[in-house]
Amino acid sequence: MAKDFLPIGSIPDFLDALATFGEVHGPLLTDDGVQVFGRIASPADLRLDYRRTLLPPKKYLLPPRETVLTYAPDSGYRPPPLPDRDIILLALHPCDLAGIAYLDMAFTSTEPDPWYRARRRRLTLIGLSCEPDEFCFCAEVGAATPGNFDLFLERTPAGFHIRTGSRRGEKILARLARLLGESEPALSSPQRCNIESAILVAVRRGETFPYSPLWDEFASRCLSCGACSLCCPTCYCFDVREYGLLDGESAERIREWDNCLFMAHGETAGGFNFRKNRRERFLYRYRHKYLGFGPTRGTLSCVGCGRCREVCPVRIDLLELFKEER
Amino acid sequence: MRKPIIAIAGLTACSGCQLTLLNCEAELPELAERFDLAYFPLGITEGAVTGPFDAAFVEGAVSTPDDLEILIKLRSRSRHLVAFGTCALWGGVAAMNNHESRNALLETVYGEGGSEMKSFNPQPFRHFIKVDFAITGCPPEKPEILAALAALLRGTFPVFPRYPVCTECRSRENRCLLIEDNEICLGPLIQAGCNARCPAVGIICEGCRGPVDEANVAAELELFLEKGFTREEIGRRMRRFCPEWDYEQRS
Repeated sequence: MAKDFLPIGSIPDFLDALATFGEVHGPLLTDDGVQVFGRIASPADLRLDYRRTLLPPKKYLLPPRETVLTYAPDSGYRPPPLPDRDIILLALHPCDLAGIAYLDMAFTSTEPDPWYRARRRRLTLIGLSCEPDEFCFCAEVGAATPGNFDLFLERTPAGFHIRTGSRRGEKILARLARLLGESEPALSSPQRCNIESAILVAVRRGETFPYSPLWDEFASRCLSCGACSLCCPTCYCFDVREYGLLDGESAERIREWDNCLFMAHGETAGGFNFRKNRRERFLYRYRHKYLGFGPTRGTLSCVGCGRCREVCPVRIDLLELFKEER
Repeated sequence: MRKPIIAIAGLTACSGCQLTLLNCEAELPELAERFDLAYFPLGITEGAVTGPFDAAFVEGAVSTPDDLEILIKLRSRSRHLVAFGTCALWGGVAAMNNHESRNALLETVYGEGGSEMKSFNPQPFRHFIKVDFAITGCPPEKPEILAALAALLRGTFPVFPRYPVCTECRSRENRCLLIEDNEICLGPLIQAGCNARCPAVGIICEGCRGPVDEANVAAELELFLEKGFTREEIGRRMRRFCPEWDYEQRS
C-alpha cells in the first residue's frame, strides 16, 4: 500500500518540512475575523477548516498594486527587481486552483507577463479538498475536480491523503516520507455532477440573455464598489498609470487591479467610453466571465468559488440569469 | 527648467490642507528648491497676492465676500486653480448645515448680532469659478498632494483613480463594516485615495473625501434604509462633508 497518508497530528511537522522549500502561506484568520491567505508563522495560525478567503490567491501572482517600471534619466525605464522568495501556498480549494490555472493561461500562454511569470515560478500550490457551502457551486462550472496543483490533500477524519501533481510536488513528498503512513484504500471520489448544469448548457450555446430584465435590475442596484471583481479568482483586468517624482525627472509606473464595472474601465482619451452605463458594463462582465473573448473565447472563467455572491453589499448574483434557464 | 510659481491660500477652513502640505517634512527642501512659493500666507509672513501664478492651491469653502474676492483674484492671476481639499471641492464640514437658517446658525455661534455678519452659506469653488484640478480629502493625502506638485513640474496634473473607498478597503482585506456589522459605512459612495484609512482600523467611512464620480446614491440609500437606519440619520451622515448629494442619482 502506498505511503501517502498524513495524520492530522503531523501538521506541525508537515509545516516545518514545507518551510524548507519556502515561506509557508495559507488560510488564516485576521484579528478582525477575516479569512485571508497569509504567512503561517505557527501551526496555530493555519485554518484548514476555512470556507473561503476574502481575496483569492491571485494576490500572490498579481498584487492589487505593484510598480512595473521605474524611470530615471540616466538609465531609462527599468523593471523593479523580480521576486526572489519561494512561497508555498497551502490549502487551496479546487476552485482556487482552477482560478490560478485560468490566470496561468491568461498571463503565460502567449506573451508571458514577466512579473506574473516570475512570481508563478516561485509559487508552489498545495490543494485541499473542501465542502461546499450555500455560496459556492464549483461542480456547476466544471471546476470541482482538482487540478493545477503540486500536491493535493484529500481530507479524511483522521488526516489527509496526499497526491502529487508535479515534479516539484514529488520532490516535496519525498522529503515528507518520514511523516507519512499507509493509506486506507476506498477513498471517496470528489463530488461530481452527472447531469450537465444549466450554466454549462447556456454557456455552450453562447447564451447572452439579451431580453432578461435582470440586467436593468442589476444596474440599478450595483454600487460599483468593485468587490465582485477584486474578490474574483479569475478577474485580471488592470490599469496602468505613471506618476512623476518630485525631482521633475524620474517616474514610477504602476499597475493595479481594475474592474469592468467602473466607469473608467471602458474610457479612452478624449472622454469616449465604450461602455457608457452600468447595464452595458454588466453585459460585458457576463460575456467575459462566462463566454470569454479574444484568445479566451469559449473559455468559462467562473470557477464557482462563490466570493462575488458573498461580498456583494446589495446581493447581486449573476447566477440568477441561469435560473431563468432552468 | 523654470520653477513653477505657486500660490497656496485658504478661505473659510481649518488650514488642515495647507498644514498637511507643511507636514510633508521629508519633501519640503525639495519643494522649496523646485517651486517658487510666491504666495503662501500660512507659511511665509511677507507677501501680497501678486501673480501671475502657474498654479494656485486654494483650501476652504467660500462663505464671505472676502473669501470670494480672494478666490476671484487668485483665479484671474493663475493659470491653474486647484481646489485643495474637500471644502474647496464639495463645501466640507462648514457646509453641513446649509439646509438650516443662516441667521439662526450665526446667532447660535456668535450670539445676538451674529446675523449681521457678512457671510453666506459655505459653498464649493465651482459655484463661482472654473476649477482646473482637485485634490480631495479632509485633509488630503500627502501622496496625492506630492503627485500633483510633481506633475505640475511637467506642466500637467496626475490621473487619480476614480473608484470608491470600498475598492481599497477590499484590497486590504479589511472586515466589511457595511455587510458584516451592518454599520452605516459610506465606503461605496466615497472617492478612494485614503487607502481605506478608517475602515482599516474598524471605523466606518465618514465620507471625508466626498462623492466618487459614479456614486449609486439611490441604491446606497435603499440599502441603509433596509438596514434600519432612518432617513434623518442617513442624511446627517451624508451631509457631513458634502451638502449637495443627489439622492436620486443611480449613476
